[in-house]
Amino acid sequence: MTRSYTPWLLLLVALVLAAVYLFPLYWMYVTSLKGSSEIFANPPTFWPVAPDPGVYPAVWARRNMPVFLSNSVIIAAGVTAITVILGTGCAYVLARYRNVWIDIGLFCVLMLQVLPASVMVTPLFVGFNQIGLLSYPRTAVVLAAAAKAMPFFVVLVRATFMSVPRELEEAALVDGNSRVGAFFTIVLPLARNGILVCAILTFMSSFGEYIYSKSIIQDPNLQPASVGLSGFLGPNSTDWNSIMAYAAIYVTPILAAFVILQRRIVAGLTSGALK
Amino acid sequence: MSRFFNALRDGVGFDILLVGAALLFLLALAGAPLLYNVLMSFQQVDMFTLGVLFRPFVGFDNYVAVVRQPEFWLVTRNTLIFVFGSMSGQFVLGFALALFFAQKFPGAATIRGLFLVSWVMPGLVVGAIWSWILAGDFGVLNVILKNLGIIQANVVWKSDPNFSIWAVIIANIWLGLAFNMLLLSVGLAAIPRDLYEAAELDGANAFQRFWTITLPMMRSTIGAVLSLGLIGTLQQFDLFPALTEGGPANTSNVAGYWSWQLSFQLYDFAKGATVSVMMFVLVLFASIIYVRSTRHEVRG
Repeated sequence: MTRSYTPWLLLLVALVLAAVYLFPLYWMYVTSLKGSSEIFANPPTFWPVAPDPGVYPAVWARRNMPVFLSNSVIIAAGVTAITVILGTGCAYVLARYRNVWIDIGLFCVLMLQVLPASVMVTPLFVGFNQIGLLSYPRTAVVLAAAAKAMPFFVVLVRATFMSVPRELEEAALVDGNSRVGAFFTIVLPLARNGILVCAILTFMSSFGEYIYSKSIIQDPNLQPASVGLSGFLGPNSTDWNSIMAYAAIYVTPILAAFVILQRRIVAGLTSGALK
Repeated sequence: MSRFFNALRDGVGFDILLVGAALLFLLALAGAPLLYNVLMSFQQVDMFTLGVLFRPFVGFDNYVAVVRQPEFWLVTRNTLIFVFGSMSGQFVLGFALALFFAQKFPGAATIRGLFLVSWVMPGLVVGAIWSWILAGDFGVLNVILKNLGIIQANVVWKSDPNFSIWAVIIANIWLGLAFNMLLLSVGLAAIPRDLYEAAELDGANAFQRFWTITLPMMRSTIGAVLSLGLIGTLQQFDLFPALTEGGPANTSNVAGYWSWQLSFQLYDFAKGATVSVMMFVLVLFASIIYVRSTRHEVRG
């Protein structure tokens, strides 16, 4: 084998690896297109014999998906709004200074980042119950999930602010701008792309939020799509083509957004997560 | 008063306002619940005292009761298997993939980026897909393994007590693999090329280069990735309700899910709080390692 073939051979191996890794996603779409007898065929068909997209509108209507999905959007939008509004300023200050107080603040944020939701859900539920917030369950979920999402957002956006040159802000201050003015007209526009990517990541992860919603929201009309999916999922499920169709409807928007923004997301993560 | 507003607009007051708003929010919704959790684990919590703050104090009774639960040691064992199984799977496969994608070939970065879709997928959906792949009679994994000659008869992954925890581990490895790979790739890219060239000139083979250059240079990255893996695995919740619900007979139950079950299925909030305090101690341990391994980066 000559040397110039090696990169193409590696590319081939890479494609095979990616195909193996992404097989679960493929299997989700393929299963959703199979008829209810074909999903139990032995051996299974790796390409549907008679593709039938009819299960999609059926699941959409029967499982009340418009309500579930709009609740997911409402919760994810609320979480993203709180996280971006409060987290951006916090990340800016943590990036701008370097002293012992900032270290303490950063340490607190890192510590809060690691708390499992399953640790927090019991005290949050009992606490919300005491202050009467359980009558507004979606608000309660938004608050709880925003607290969960914010530390990660702060860590990533802080890295973005670190890459904005201090000199630009100082020049604006010398020119007579106030701190507020310099922040909104110089620093924020320069960090806009990084903030946007992190906001999208926050939206995506809270779009799939499950544990708080499952524990706090009892009314089916207020539950998000993840809780709706868990409603017909269990150790003994059999209705697999409907489940996979539901899952496909639920995640396809996220997957599409991810593929479009892949490059930026990866860049944002690699700059922030380890630095 | 105007000095106050000037400071707010132009001085350090602006910084304090920005950072204070976020920290107050986090303290109210993460710090306070955490302390409240510890308080509850020392109280008697039932339907009558659920709405009050100062409940009868019971000392360590909840802790004794939790340890005496028949499933306590099973859940502890499962948690350890789950954590170490998932972490080692994610790390070894992630490292192998990171090394592979560090080679130069067309499209390497793009294909590597595609792996990260698993990271943005909702955990419950991932659980649902794996639940179908791992299904006993018609699951595709059994068919593939049988055709490869690895197994003779179907493995009932989700309801065989010997395999149920491994069903969740397999799904969790898939879920966390890409993030491990990405972080390790960043670490690999930071190793100066000329170290390898010098070693090659000195006649070091690929294994020696890996052992004497790659591993030592990656030490802080590996520390961070392992502790993030530990934290991420302890945070994993969604896969359990989607795959096994902790069953059969708690053989796939771990601390996080057990705590939730105690609180929200048995309404025994005191025991739920107690288990989650125990788990928090474990997380605290992991995060101290994490902060130590990233400390030099944090201080810049």
